[in-house]
Amino acid sequence: MQKKGINRRQFLKLTGAGSLVAAAGTIGGGLTLPKGLWAATPAIKGPIKIGYQTVLSGTLAGYGEFHKMGLLMAVDEINAKGGIAGRKVEVEVRDSTLKPDDAIKNARYFVDSWGADFLGGIDSSGQALALAPLMDKLDRVLIVTHAATEKLTEDFVYRKGVRQIFRNCMPTYNDGNAAAFIAKDFPAVKWATVSPKYEYGFTCWKMFRETLTKLKPGVSFTAESWAPFGTTDFRSHINTILDAKPDGLYSTEWAGELISFLKQAKEAGLFDKIRYVMLPVGAAMDVLEGMGKDMPDNLWISGRYYFQYPNNKTNNEWVARFRKRWGHYPAYVSETAYSCVYAIKEAVEKAGSKDTGAVIQAMEGMGMNSPAGHRVFRKEDHQAIYDVPWGKTKADPKFPFKVMGDMKVLPAKEYFNRPPFEGPGTTPPFK
Amino acid sequence: MMQSVVHTVLAGLSAGMFIWLVASGLTLIFGVLGVLNFAHGSFYMLGAYMCYTVLRYVGPDFWVALLIAPLSVCIIGYVVERWFLRYVYHLALPYQLLLTFAFVLIFDNLAKMVWGAGSVTPPDLSTLNGTVSILGRNFPVYNLFIIGVGPLVAAGLWLFLERTWYGRIIRAASSDREMAASIGVSVPALFTAVFVFGTWLGALGGGLAVPYVGLVTTGMGETIIIEAFIVAVIGGLGSLKGAFLGALVLGVLTAFGTRFFPAFDMFLTFILMAGVLLVRPQGLFGTAR
Amino acid sequence: MTESRIRYAVLAALLLALAAVPYVSGKFFVYLTMRVMLLGIFAVGFNLLLGQTGLLSFGHGAFYAAGAYGLGLFGAYVTPNPLLGVAVGIAAAAVVALLVGYLCVRHTEIYFAMLTLACGMMVFSFVWNARSITGGDDGFIGIMRAPVTLFGGLRLPIGKDSQFYYFVLAFFVLAVWVAHRIRISPFGLVLSGIRENARRTEYAGIPVRKYRLSVFVVSGAFAGLAGALEALLESNARPFMAHWTHSAEPVLVSLLGGLSSLFGPIVGGAFFIAMREIIQRYTENWMLGFGVVLLVVIMAFRGGIMGAVENLFGRRSAGAGR
Repeated sequence: MQKKGINRRQFLKLTGAGSLVAAAGTIGGGLTLPKGLWAATPAIKGPIKIGYQTVLSGTLAGYGEFHKMGLLMAVDEINAKGGIAGRKVEVEVRDSTLKPDDAIKNARYFVDSWGADFLGGIDSSGQALALAPLMDKLDRVLIVTHAATEKLTEDFVYRKGVRQIFRNCMPTYNDGNAAAFIAKDFPAVKWATVSPKYEYGFTCWKMFRETLTKLKPGVSFTAESWAPFGTTDFRSHINTILDAKPDGLYSTEWAGELISFLKQAKEAGLFDKIRYVMLPVGAAMDVLEGMGKDMPDNLWISGRYYFQYPNNKTNNEWVARFRKRWGHYPAYVSETAYSCVYAIKEAVEKAGSKDTGAVIQAMEGMGMNSPAGHRVFRKEDHQAIYDVPWGKTKADPKFPFKVMGDMKVLPAKEYFNRPPFEGPGTTPPFK
Repeated sequence: MMQSVVHTVLAGLSAGMFIWLVASGLTLIFGVLGVLNFAHGSFYMLGAYMCYTVLRYVGPDFWVALLIAPLSVCIIGYVVERWFLRYVYHLALPYQLLLTFAFVLIFDNLAKMVWGAGSVTPPDLSTLNGTVSILGRNFPVYNLFIIGVGPLVAAGLWLFLERTWYGRIIRAASSDREMAASIGVSVPALFTAVFVFGTWLGALGGGLAVPYVGLVTTGMGETIIIEAFIVAVIGGLGSLKGAFLGALVLGVLTAFGTRFFPAFDMFLTFILMAGVLLVRPQGLFGTAR
Repeated sequence: MTESRIRYAVLAALLLALAAVPYVSGKFFVYLTMRVMLLGIFAVGFNLLLGQTGLLSFGHGAFYAAGAYGLGLFGAYVTPNPLLGVAVGIAAAAVVALLVGYLCVRHTEIYFAMLTLACGMMVFSFVWNARSITGGDDGFIGIMRAPVTLFGGLRLPIGKDSQFYYFVLAFFVLAVWVAHRIRISPFGLVLSGIRENARRTEYAGIPVRKYRLSVFVVSGAFAGLAGALEALLESNARPFMAHWTHSAEPVLVSLLGGLSSLFGPIVGGAFFIAMREIIQRYTENWMLGFGVVLLVVIMAFRGGIMGAVENLFGRRSAGAGR
C-alpha cells in the first residue's frame, strides 16, 4: 500500500526553509516570459497573488497536504507556460486550523498585509460562513474549495448578494439530494444514519430524507445516531443502528472518523445485516487508501471528485501527472485546489483584468474544463455545476485499495437546488 | 433490549480501559511527583505511532510492536523528565500545566513531520482479529482482550506497589520525600524512574489503541488526556483505585449516554465530574485535605 | 520627577501610541492590535482571579461566549445599539458567572479548575446543541455594527475597522482602569490575602467564599465584555468560544506575561499573538515554533515576561509572585 501523506522529502521541500512561496517563485520565475496576446495587456500590473488557506494542523491536516499538492501543481504548470495573462502567479498557504476566527485572521492577512488578489481554500462550513459577511469589505474573489454548506451560496451569495464568493466543489446537494436519487432504486424502505453531530451531518440527512420521501413515498427513517466531532469509538452508535434493524444505512461520516466507523462496523457485522449503505464522501482518497483491502464490498460511495471519473484524456493525464509528481492518486481537494487556480486564470484572462468587479463578472456563468469535467459557475449563486459519480465499492487487482464499480452519474442540474431556493420547484425532483 | 444493554456495557468497558491506561500513568506521576502532566496524552499518541511504525516497517507482529513501541516512548519520557520537568517541580500547578502543554504542541507537530499530516492506518493483523457472538451479536475478540488487560494492569500495579521493595520505596517517597531521602533513597532518580514508568503505561495504552480505533492521528492524545484528567479527579487525585473505578464508570456512562440518551451525550462526562466534585470534593477515593 | 510621574508619562505615551495606530499602520496591524486588546481585556479580568486571588479557572470561555451570544441575540431581536448590546453581553456573562461561581468557589486548586472546566464545557455543549437559538456549530452569524448613539443625537459610525478600533480602545482603557482600581482597593487587598493564606483571612472574619464569588463574577464580566466586542469585530459568535481550549488562552497569556502585575497578561497576550504571527510567516510548523518559545519562556523566566523586565530594572514586584 502507498504510504499516505506527502513523503518526507517532498514534505521538506514544501515546508522547509524555502516555503511554498519561494518554491513557486523559483520554479516559475525563470520561465515567466510574457507571451502571446497577454504580453500586451497593460491593465494587469504585478503578479497574480493567491492567498490560500487550509487545515495544516490537527487530525485533519492530511486534507491540507492534499490541497497543497493540487494547488502547487496548478501554479507551477501555469507559471511554466507564461503565467496568468503574462503575469506570474504567486501563492501563499496558511494553516486555517479549522477555526473560524483563524480563517478571518488569515483572510485579513492575505488581503490587508500580503496583498492578495484572490482568496482560495476553506475547509469547514463554520469558517466559510464566518468569513462570508466580511468578503464585501475585503472585496476579493474567494473560491471555496472544500466547505460544502449550501447556506454559503444560497444565503450569502444569492439572498444577501455577497458576489465575491464562489465555490468550485460539490455542495451538500450531492451528499443529500443525489444520495436519495441513488437510494430510491433500492428495495430498502427503512433507513437509519450515523452522522456527524454538527450542521453538515444534520443538513445532509434532512436533504436525503426530504428528497427520498418525495421520490419514494412510504420510506421511513427509523434511527439517528449523531457522533460528536472527534469520535473514535463508534461502538455505541453501531449498537443503536443494529437495534433499529433498518434496511439501509446513510452516513456522512468522513475522513479518519469514517475509517474508524467502517472498521468497527465491519467487526460488529453491520454490513452482513444491512445491505444498502450510502457513504456520500466515502470515495475520498484518504478513506479508500486508509481502508485498503479492508473496505467492505458493495457500499455505495461518492465524493466531490473521483480520480477515475470522467474517463477522458484531460482527467487521465492529470491523474498521471499527479501520480508522477506526488506518488499519490489525487484527493478531491487536490482537484478543487488545482481547478481553483485555473478558474482564476480563465476569469482573469477573460476579464482582461484582475480587478474584483471585472473578475466576478467574467466568472458568473463561466464554463471551464477541469480534471473533474466541465464546470459552470451558476450565475445566481456562484456555485460550480459539474457531475460526480456514485458507485459501489469493489476490488480491482490494479489498485491496492477498493475502487468504484457500477458507476452511476446523475446530471448535477437534476439534483442541485435551484434559485430562488425557497418555495415549490426549487428542490429536486424537477419536472 | 437485553442484547443492546449487554453490548453497550461491553463497549463502555473497553472504552473505559483505554482511559484507565492513560489515567493510571497520570495518577502515578501525580501521586509521586506531584506534577500534573498535560503531555501524558502525547505519550499515548506516540505509543500509537511507534506501534504503527513497528507493524509497518518491522513486521506485522502485534506482540513485538507492543513490546517495542512503549519502551521506545520511554526514552522520550526520560528526556522530558530529566531535562525539563525536573526544574518545575517546585512551581505552582499552572506553570506545570503550561510547560507540559508546550510539549503537547511540540510532539503534535513533530509527529506530523515524521509520520505525515494525514491519519495512518495499521496493516491488517492476524492477532486476535476474530469475533465472538454474544447474545446473537458479534463482538470483537480484541475488545474482550482489552477488557481483560485493564484489570491485569491494575492488579500488576497493585502487587508492585504493595508487595515489592521498590513499590514500598515509591509509596514512601510519595508520602514524604525528605524521609525517603534520609533513608538513602535517591529521590531524583526515583522520580525519573516513576515518570518513565508512567510514560510506559500511557504509551502502552496508545499501542493497544491502534487495532481498536483503526487509525492513528496527531491530536489523538488531546481527547483522551481530558478524559484521563476527569477520571483522575473523579477518583481522587493520586488514587489508582479511584482512577480505575472512575474510568469504568466514565466509559460505561458515555456508552449508555450515546446509546440511550443521545441528547445529553456531550454533557454526561462533565455532569458526572461536577456531580462527584460537588458531593465529594476530594474525589471518590481521595484523602480529605 | 517622582516615580509616579514617570509612570503617568509612560502610560500617556503608550495610550497615544495606541490611539495613533490606525493612522500610522496598515489595516492588518490595526486588526491585530484589536485582537490584542480583546485578549488583553479577557486576560486582565481573568488575572484578577488567578494572579490576585490564586484561583485557576478553566471555564472562562463560557463567559466570553455568554457575552458574544448575549450581544448577538440582543442585537438580532431587540435593538442593534452596540453600547446596549455590550452592556447586555456583560450582564449575560455576569449571570452565567454567578451560577457557575456559586457551584465552584467552594473548592480551590485543581478541583476548582476541573469544576470550572466541567461547567464551561456544559455551556459549550449547550450552545452546540441549542441550534435553533445559537445556530449550532455554524455559529451565530451576521452580527452588525450599528452606529453608536450618544446623548440622544450624536451618531458615531463604527462600521469601518478604523472607526471600530476606537470603540475597542475605549473599552480596553476602561477595563484596564477598572482592573487597576480593583487591585488597589480594599477589596483587592482582601483577595491578595485570600491568595496568600485563605484560612488566616477567614479567621480575620472575612467571608472568603463571598469574596471569591464576587471576584469570579467580576472576572466573568470582563470575559463577557471581551466576547461581546469580538462578536462585533468578527460579526459572529461561535460555540468554540466556550470550549476549554479557549478558556486556556487567558491562563496561557497570564502566565506568559506574569501574574503579579496589572500589565503582565496584556504583555503576554501581545507576545502570544505576535509570536504566532511571526512564526507563521516563516514556517507552517507554527506549533513546533511556538511550543519551543513557550518552553524557553517558562524555563528561563518563571515570573513571566513582566517579571523578567522588572527584575532587569531591579524592582521588586508589588504583589508577591507565586
